[in-house]
Amino acid sequence: MAKWLIPVLTASMVLGGCASVPRGSIPVVDSGTSASELQDGGSAGYASAAPQASMQSAPEDSGVVVMVPGGSSAPIQTFPASGAGGGIANQQPLTFGSGSDVPAAPSSGTFTAPSMPSQPSGIPSGGGLAADEQLDGPVLALLTSAQQLQGSGDLNGAASSLERAQRIAPREPQVLYRLAEVRLAQGDAAQAEQFARRGLSYASGRPALQASLWDLIAQARERQGDPAGAAQAREQARVNL
Amino acid sequence: MTRTRSPRSRSKRRPSRGLRPLLGWAVKLGLVGLVVLAGFAVYLDAVVQEKFSGKRWTVPAKVYARPLELFVGQKLAKDDFLKEVDALGYRRETAVDGPGGVSVAGNTIELHSRGFQFYEGNEPSQRVRVRFSGDYVAALSQANGSNLAVARLEPMLIGGLYPAHQEDRVLIKLDQVPPYLIETLVAVEDREFFNHFGVSPKSVARAIWVNASAGQVRQGGSTLTQQLVKNFYLTNERSLTRKATEAMMAVLLELHYDKREILEAYLNEVFLGQDGQRAVHGFGLASQYFFSQPLSELKLHQVALLVGMVKGPTFYNPRRNPERALERRNLVLDVLAEQGVASAEEVETAKQRPLGVTQRGSMANSSFPAFLDLVKRQLREDYREEDLTEEGLRIFTSFDPILQLKAESALSDSLKRLSGRKGVDEVEAGMVVTNPETGEVQAMIGSRQPRFAGFNRAIDAVRPIGSLIKPAIYLTALERPSQYTLTSFLEDEPFSVKGQDGQVWRPQNYDRKAHGTIYLYQGLVHSYNLSTAKLGLELGVPTVLKTLDRMGVSRQWPAYPSMLLGAGALSPLDVAGMYQTLANGGFNTPLRGIRSVLTAEGQPLGRYPYQIQQRFDAGAIYLLQNAMQRTMREGTGRSVYNQLPASLALAGKTGTSNDSRDSWFAGFGQDVLAVVWLGRDDNGPTPLTGATGALQVWTDFMRKADPLPLDMPMPDNVVQAWINPTTGQGSDPSCPGAVQMPYIRGSEPAAGQACGIQAPVDSVMDWVRGWLD
Repeated sequence: MAKWLIPVLTASMVLGGCASVPRGSIPVVDSGTSASELQDGGSAGYASAAPQASMQSAPEDSGVVVMVPGGSSAPIQTFPASGAGGGIANQQPLTFGSGSDVPAAPSSGTFTAPSMPSQPSGIPSGGGLAADEQLDGPVLALLTSAQQLQGSGDLNGAASSLERAQRIAPREPQVLYRLAEVRLAQGDAAQAEQFARRGLSYASGRPALQASLWDLIAQARERQGDPAGAAQAREQARVNL
Repeated sequence: MTRTRSPRSRSKRRPSRGLRPLLGWAVKLGLVGLVVLAGFAVYLDAVVQEKFSGKRWTVPAKVYARPLELFVGQKLAKDDFLKEVDALGYRRETAVDGPGGVSVAGNTIELHSRGFQFYEGNEPSQRVRVRFSGDYVAALSQANGSNLAVARLEPMLIGGLYPAHQEDRVLIKLDQVPPYLIETLVAVEDREFFNHFGVSPKSVARAIWVNASAGQVRQGGSTLTQQLVKNFYLTNERSLTRKATEAMMAVLLELHYDKREILEAYLNEVFLGQDGQRAVHGFGLASQYFFSQPLSELKLHQVALLVGMVKGPTFYNPRRNPERALERRNLVLDVLAEQGVASAEEVETAKQRPLGVTQRGSMANSSFPAFLDLVKRQLREDYREEDLTEEGLRIFTSFDPILQLKAESALSDSLKRLSGRKGVDEVEAGMVVTNPETGEVQAMIGSRQPRFAGFNRAIDAVRPIGSLIKPAIYLTALERPSQYTLTSFLEDEPFSVKGQDGQVWRPQNYDRKAHGTIYLYQGLVHSYNLSTAKLGLELGVPTVLKTLDRMGVSRQWPAYPSMLLGAGALSPLDVAGMYQTLANGGFNTPLRGIRSVLTAEGQPLGRYPYQIQQRFDAGAIYLLQNAMQRTMREGTGRSVYNQLPASLALAGKTGTSNDSRDSWFAGFGQDVLAVVWLGRDDNGPTPLTGATGALQVWTDFMRKADPLPLDMPMPDNVVQAWINPTTGQGSDPSCPGAVQMPYIRGSEPAAGQACGIQAPVDSVMDWVRGWLD
C-alpha cells in the first residue's frame, strides 16, 4: 500500500469526524434534553411578549357576562306600589286587592309628568349628594381614592377601588351610587342602572340620595335608548327632591 | 464510513515507522483538534449567550387569597387575625423591628406591614396599630398615632399554575437578598468566587486532595458558575466530557457577564426542595416555601439553613429530616464564624434558634385544591395556557383562608360526630361558601379530605336537589300578591296527576301524612311535598322552571311534575348561585372567585367586575326570606338554634333526595351563604337527611363563621299587618295572640277590630314581641 495513502485516509477520517461534531458532541446536544427543553421555554418566553400585549388589550368584560333570561331588558319594578307611576313594564304586574291605593311614601305618583329639561348626560360630579350624608373613615377614604383614579382617567382602577369600598360597606348606597357613575362613564349603562337600583333599595329615608340615584337611572336609560323610561326616572328624581 | 474505518485500523497497526513522520502527524492532528475545539467553543458560546440574555425563566402564575382589610368596625376576631398574620410569616417580636414584624400586647397589636402592589394601586409598607374589642376592630392608627382609615395586609399566596415540568420560583433581584446570604453562599460553596474566571484550579486541586485522602468523592471542585452552568444548561449526568463542557461554558459565561449577574442567576436557579409535583427553585421561593417570609426578611439562622441545603435539598429537608438539617445549619454557621463572616456571638445566638420552618397543616402550609380548581377553570376560559404557566401573572382572588379553615373543621367535626351511624364513613362531601353581598366565592371544599386534589364535588357532583327547589315555587307564588300571600290557604292532601308520558305521579310527604289546610308559608317551612307540589302545578311547571332560570340556574330541565320536588340535579356551586339571588334582595350576580389579574411587573391586566341584575321584586324576596327564616325558627331547620343564639337571624332550606341519597342544606345570614352536600360517589343511599346530615355541617360552620344576622331592609311595597294566627284574618296589636306578617302592600287582610283596652301592658308586649319575631 502506498505510503501517501496514509495521510489522505487519516485526514479524511478526521474530517469525517469534524463533519459529525454536532451530532457527536453528545454532552451538549443529545444528552442535554432538558437544556434544549429549557431553551424552547426560553424562546417561548421571548415570543410571548406579543401575546401579552394582546391580553392587555382584552377588555375587562372578558370576565363574566350577565345572562338576561328571556332577553327582556325591562327592569323589574322596585316600587310596585306606585302603580303606573313608575310605568316600567313588569313581567308580573302586581295587582292589588280592591282599591287599596295607599301611596308609597317616597314614590307616590304625581301622574302628570312635566317634561323635565334633559340633563347633560356627562358624569355627575357627585354633587347630587347632600351634605348631610355622613360617611365614616374607610369608605370615605376609598371613595376619595376612587375619585382621584377617575380624575386621572383610570376608570378600571376607580371601579376596582369602589368595589373594595362596597366589600367594606356593602349596604352603603353612596358607594353603589359612585359605582353606578363609574360604570356609566365606562359605557356600561345597563350595569349603571342596576347599581343605582341596588342603591335605591338601601336609600330609604334619604330623599336627596334617592333623587340622585333616580337621576342616574334616567341617564343610564337614555344611554340604553329608552327615553320613556328615562323620563319616568327623572320624574321619580323630581318627586324625591 | 466503512472506507474510513479500515484505514484507521491499518494506520494503528503501523505505529513505528520512524519518529519524525509521526510527530508531523501529531502536530497536524493537534491543529485539526484545535480547530474542532474552537468550533465547539463558538457553538457553546452561542448556547451560553442565547439562553442567558433576555428572559431566563418562565414563571407560573401566582394565586393570592383576598388581602385582609383592617378598618374600625370590621368584624374580625383577634385570634383569626393572628392566625392569618402567622400564616403570612410575621415574626412575633416584643418591639416591632422592620417589615414583617408583629407585637401583641393584650388586645392591641402592632405590626409593620410589607406593602404590596394591588390592582387599585400600591399598598405602602407601614407600621400599624390595631386594637380589638370583642370580635371587632375597635381602633386603627399608624404606630406614631396618626390617623389611618383603612389598611390591608399582603395577600396570602395560595398556589400557582404550573406547567408540565413544574418548576416553580419567585424571581428575586440581587438587591433583595438579606444580609449574609451572599457571604454565606460564597463561604460554603465557592470561596474563590470573586477571584476565579469560571473554574478554580485551586478548588479542583483541593478537591482532588480531599477525595484522594478520603478514598472517595467527598468534595466537588465546582465553582458557583459551574454549578449554575450545570443546572441551567446541562443535565445531571456525571462524565468527563460533560465536566469539560461545563468548565468551558463556565469560562465563557464569565467572559460575557459580570459576577453580580451570575450570582443573581444562581440564586434564582438553584434547586432547593420538592413539594409534591412542584420543584422549588431559587432562594426567593424557598424562603416563601419554608418560612412563609419574603427573602429579604430572613435572619442569619434562616440564611444558613437555606445555604446549607444547597448541598442536598432532599437529604437536608428541614421538614423531613429536621435533625440533619439542624446539624448542617450549625455547621454552616461555624464556617461563618471561622471565616469571619459573622461574629462568634452572632453565630452562637443563631445556633440557639430553632429551624423556624412553617409546620405542615398550618394555614401557611396548606393546599386548597378545590378553590384553586375553580380559579383555574375561570382563568383557562380567559387566558392561554402558556400565559398562565410562564408569564408570572398575579391572580387576586376572593378566597378567605379563615373561612376556609372554619368550613374544613366544621365538616370534619360534624362527620366525626355522625360517624356512629352506619354508612356515614362512605359519605363524601362538597361545600361552597360565598358572600351574598358581593357575589364572591370565599371558600370551597371538594372532598371530605379537603387537601386531596381530585374529583371536585363542589363543582362537579351534580345531584338531585330535592326540596332545595321549593323556594323557587313559593317565590313564583309570592310574585302574584293578588293570588298568593304568606297566609293564603293550601291543601296538603294526597293527589295524583297523569304526566304527558301517561305515568301517574303521586307525591308523598316525608312523614307519609297529610296535614290538611295550612298556610302557604307552612308548606315551605315544614317542607310538605303534597301542598308544595299542588301549588307548583297550579302555577305551572314551566313557570316554576322559568323562576329557577331567573334565580341563576341555567339547566335545561324537562317540565315534568317531579321537577317540583327536586328531581333536577345541580352542583353545590349551582345551588350557591341560585340562593345568592334570594340572599341578595332578588339581584342575581354571577359568582366570582377572581377579582383581578396583574402582570409580573404589577401592571393591570384583567378584572372580573362585580355585576348584578335585578331579577325579582324586592317585596316578593322579602316575603320569601321571612318564610325561610321561619324554616329555621320553627321548621325543618330549627335544630340550628340548639347551637346558635336566637338573635342570629338566618334563612335556609333542607334538601333530601329519594332514599336519602343526597343530603343538602343551603342557607345564609347577611354576609355569609353556605351550601353543603353530603352523599355517596356511587349514588347509594345514606343514613342522612338534609336535616340530620348537611344541616349539621352547616350549623357548625355558621357557629364558627359567626355571620351578621340577616337584615334585609323592608321594601316600600311591603307592609306589616297584624293577623289572628288561627284564622289568618286581620287583627290588631291589642288582641291577644295577634302576630305580625309581612304582605305586599294591598294584599294584606283588612285590619281587625281593636280588642279593647283590657290589658295595655300585654298588648305593648305583644307589639314588641311581634317586632322581635
